[in-house]
Amino acid sequence: MLGDITIGQYYPGDSVLHKLDPRTKILAILVYMVSLFIVNNFYGLLGMMAISILVVAVSKVPVKYFFRGLKMIIFIVLLTVALQMFMTPGDVVWQWSFLKITKEGIKQAVFMGTRLVLLISITSILTLTTTPIALTDGIERLLKPFQRFGVPAHELAMMMSIALRFIPTLVEETDKIMKAQAARGASFDTGNLIEKVKALVPLLVPLFLSAFQRADELAIAMEARCYHGGTNRTRLKALQYTGKDLAAGILCICMVAAAIISRTVS
Amino acid sequence: MSLELKHVSHIYQEGSAKESYALRDICLNVNEGEFLGIAGHTGSGKSTLIQHFNGLLKPTSGEVIVDGVNINGKEAKKELKVLRMQVGIVFQYPEYQLFEETVERDIAFGPRNLNLSDIEIQHRVTEAMDMLKLSKKMRKKSPFELSGGQKRKIAIAGVLAMKPKYLILDEPTAGLDPKGREEFLELIADLHQQGLTVVMVSHSMDDIARYAQRMIVLEHGEIRLEGTPQAVFAQSELLDQIGLGVPTLTRLLIELQKQGWDVRTDLFHPTDVSQEILRALSKREQRKGADLC
Repeated sequence: MLGDITIGQYYPGDSVLHKLDPRTKILAILVYMVSLFIVNNFYGLLGMMAISILVVAVSKVPVKYFFRGLKMIIFIVLLTVALQMFMTPGDVVWQWSFLKITKEGIKQAVFMGTRLVLLISITSILTLTTTPIALTDGIERLLKPFQRFGVPAHELAMMMSIALRFIPTLVEETDKIMKAQAARGASFDTGNLIEKVKALVPLLVPLFLSAFQRADELAIAMEARCYHGGTNRTRLKALQYTGKDLAAGILCICMVAAAIISRTVS
Repeated sequence: MSLELKHVSHIYQEGSAKESYALRDICLNVNEGEFLGIAGHTGSGKSTLIQHFNGLLKPTSGEVIVDGVNINGKEAKKELKVLRMQVGIVFQYPEYQLFEETVERDIAFGPRNLNLSDIEIQHRVTEAMDMLKLSKKMRKKSPFELSGGQKRKIAIAGVLAMKPKYLILDEPTAGLDPKGREEFLELIADLHQQGLTVVMVSHSMDDIARYAQRMIVLEHGEIRLEGTPQAVFAQSELLDQIGLGVPTLTRLLIELQKQGWDVRTDLFHPTDVSQEILRALSKREQRKGADLC
């Protein structure tokens, strides 16, 4: 029932993107996001879209698999688009009682919608091509300089990797409980909103219960192996920048430059 | 009236790189009143198979027919709830599906979904608890303060309260201690005695040997063997190959035979096996006596 959730999942492969240092990938995505908001006209947006498509192609993640992950966010995108379309004041193009669409609204909606989709595509490429462990290591290393100001870098990274690790487990668990309750005549997709929310109780109670139980078990397992946080912890695979990372960095700088230049084109 | 699977195949993640057959061309009949055992290794498709019995999973191809109605057909759409009521599935570790504040309310969840009257619901809860020999004191307790075995009984009671005609159990004895295991198997045999059609999935040949009248053996989503336990266990080499083996007592007889004893190897009930061994012993005694003369 829920096999479609691919958020945060790793797709094994050996593309260039898989081999990049996680720090490079995280920083590159930050740069991409910034560029995405620097860009202010359609040419720029098209450029960003092209980059995004190129990145997906390079990652060698099957397009079908990739889009299945995106299906989840359609609702959020549609909501954003609708809000932008109806709420932006300006030249009215179309009106029906209190609803009105403006020229500025359409432009905003297209922009925000595209940005959102691109944003999520590129971040899902990050998790698709990076193992959770590499991702955590990367985040931890990047946050290290901020430790001086009290940012718990290791703990944050650990929390995130555990969260990512448990997404598929929880999905599986939800699926199992849904089926068990459906076998007892529960239905999750019929009735009005109140009935639907009520129908979630038989799903959520067992789910929370088992999640807490799992958390408890995990904590014990970690303690049994003498886990005590990040101090003095060494790594099996130390992160190392290579020539590929340098190339990626240069490409990123080009991207920002192009984004800034694109603002002058109109 | 029966539960019928016609050429059912199920493919997971069809069309992607991870596409895999979970079931391949399964033809199976569950006759009313019988006790069918389904044996198979982890990943052999057992659980996938039983989820087809009440329409939780749709076959990629083929048909599932419950009492003459194709449950994935058009006419069944409105009646899916009723059909699901006919086929009660108890999943593996069913205690994880409990969620209500009291035992009573949890068992009543199924009947409530069927929109029955309060009196009928109460009646069914009492009946289901009686069937599983749960004491009345338990009714008002929270299911979460009970022991694992009791929780499992309550979960089964929750399915029985819907009055299914077919009861499907997925590894009902998984994770129980020997005593609890024994108790559960007795209970299930008892339910069968009371007229329920029982399908029990297990990877333990001993469990299936005890009560099943007929059994199938699954491997890689295909039916490898089908027949009475006696006929199936006679194929000990094939069963070993699949990795399931034969019941412990049958294994004993096979070992005896290897050592030159003249015994049958298609038995598995404790009484049958002990009689067979005694018979072989006395036969040998007789021969010894004859040799001496």
